[in-house]
Amino acid sequence: MHVVNTHDLTKIYDNRYIALNALNMRVEKGQVYGLVGPNGAGKSTTFRILLGLQKPTAGSIQVFGEAMGAERADLRRRIGYLPTNPTFPKTMTPIGFLQFVGSVLGMPRDRAKIQLSRLLQAVDLTNAASQPVKGFSTGMLTRLGIAAALMNDPELLILDEPTSGLDPAGRKQTIELIRELSGRDRTIIIATHILTDVERVCTDVGIISAGRLIYSGPMADMRRLARQGTIAVEIEGNTSAFEQEIPSLDEFGSVRYERLGSEFRITFLGTRSLTDYLQRVLQLIDRTGVELLHINTGSDEIEEAFLRRLEDDRTRGFLRAAAWAAALEGSPAEAHLDGGLSDDSPMASAAHNGAAGANGNSGPLAQGKGESADAGIHGHPSV
Amino acid sequence: MQAFMAILRYDAAQLLQSWVTRVWVPLLLAPALFLVVVAASENELASETLAAYVAAVLMPLSAVAVAVLTAGAIAGEAQIIADGILSRSVTRTEFVSAKIVARLGFALAVFLLVMVPFTYLIIRYAATDVSYAGLLVGLFTAALLLTFLGALGLTLSTVMTNVLVSVLVLLVVVLASGLVLQFLGLNWMSTTAVLTQMAPTIRGETPAWDTFRVIFVFGGLTAVSILATFSVFRQRDL
Repeated sequence: MHVVNTHDLTKIYDNRYIALNALNMRVEKGQVYGLVGPNGAGKSTTFRILLGLQKPTAGSIQVFGEAMGAERADLRRRIGYLPTNPTFPKTMTPIGFLQFVGSVLGMPRDRAKIQLSRLLQAVDLTNAASQPVKGFSTGMLTRLGIAAALMNDPELLILDEPTSGLDPAGRKQTIELIRELSGRDRTIIIATHILTDVERVCTDVGIISAGRLIYSGPMADMRRLARQGTIAVEIEGNTSAFEQEIPSLDEFGSVRYERLGSEFRITFLGTRSLTDYLQRVLQLIDRTGVELLHINTGSDEIEEAFLRRLEDDRTRGFLRAAAWAAALEGSPAEAHLDGGLSDDSPMASAAHNGAAGANGNSGPLAQGKGESADAGIHGHPSV
Repeated sequence: MQAFMAILRYDAAQLLQSWVTRVWVPLLLAPALFLVVVAASENELASETLAAYVAAVLMPLSAVAVAVLTAGAIAGEAQIIADGILSRSVTRTEFVSAKIVARLGFALAVFLLVMVPFTYLIIRYAATDVSYAGLLVGLFTAALLLTFLGALGLTLSTVMTNVLVSVLVLLVVVLASGLVLQFLGLNWMSTTAVLTQMAPTIRGETPAWDTFRVIFVFGGLTAVSILATFSVFRQRDL
């Protein structure tokens, strides 16, 4: 069962600002799902709609298989939420606040007291348990927020920028805490723009940009992705001629490169296999008569893959359409669909059929899970 | 129900600790005591003393205090409410109900805390010219005015995000309403007219119809404000 399932979720503020743009996101039970995106991408908006704090302009959202709304306190009882930079009533102590949370949740007083004691110990706030919150550091507020989110032992835990404003020690402590919380059938969704945190703790990742999910898949695929699509060569000789010919490596020009002296780091945005591109690079080396000193594929960091995904999303349009068409004409099975298209658009149908027809030959870029066409890109280097 | 009670207790505790309460209540009690002494020594009429206190002390001070306490009830705590309370197993209906009961209940509690002993002392020591029915009606009307003000403040608090603007708008509406009603020939509906009639009402001299229509109008407006509060808050994005 999908714990969270959004379908074309759209949010437009004041008829002016599009915060979410037909977002399709699915989180399964037991996943630790990292929702990654730049500031203003729509992560917090997604959570607020997920919790019923805001209404979507269009589309739908289901939590635990049921539609979420402002009056669905029964669903929220199963959710724990840590907001960005949590705020608390200044005069309250951690004990007082957690008692209040317990009473709001309908917990018997005795059980609430046992639970809050355990949680304050787990988040290392026992020594500050009876101090007013107004004197707390950012790290302490975050830890109190995590304790409050766990009061009801939730099935779904939502953490919005849990390491925001923390020093390295605080971040490490928080990440360790999150790692301890995962498992036991608990689903965790973490929104962050810190990719190393995602890499450390998440099983799945979704990249959100300008309100759309442009990538969604297992963390393992993301790591594999990080090592594909880039070829670094170090050459000697007529490097200018080599540099001039680089755009011709892909028919549609979906290639970019960085030059550092005699080293060229060439990134391919097309749909061909890495082997194919590698052959073309070697042919180019041969054609231009340069001497190859060193060649390497991959070694991108996750961050590079993330940035590439974002840039790829920005430079789509005709490039993407052209690469699509090429993929459908008979090259191997990787129809990568634009997150903005709906299932019943002609291009989506054609892409589906093309992908289905050319199935066996996926190479290292295995097809993602069988999710719907408009869920963004599934564990693939995108077009 | 548990969430409702939890929020009610939390809000009541906040109100008791609020600086507004600490300033408001002594400012009401001090003149009340003074008036009891003056009324006793000068043998003032009870109805006039009560009416003067309500019009000159109770209503102005309480209007400001109630405006601050209610117009900031939701706007002033928006982030804590959204992130700390409504993200949990609380419905908006429960939350707003608890806020309304807490804020209006608190205002009425302060009103009764001050007016009940003050009225008793005035009747005891001043020259008695009150009718007990009229006294009850007069105090009820004063309480209703405060309740309406509080309900309107809560409505504005759900509509606006800025506490200061909510308070100012509320006070301006109250002050300007007298002029507007006078212009429309509905002077009897203004708070000024109601307070001017307080002494005759306490003496039992005000016609029943006049009293009834005032209670009906302000009661109706209070109910409309409360319903609007629920309606707006349920739809609002947090």
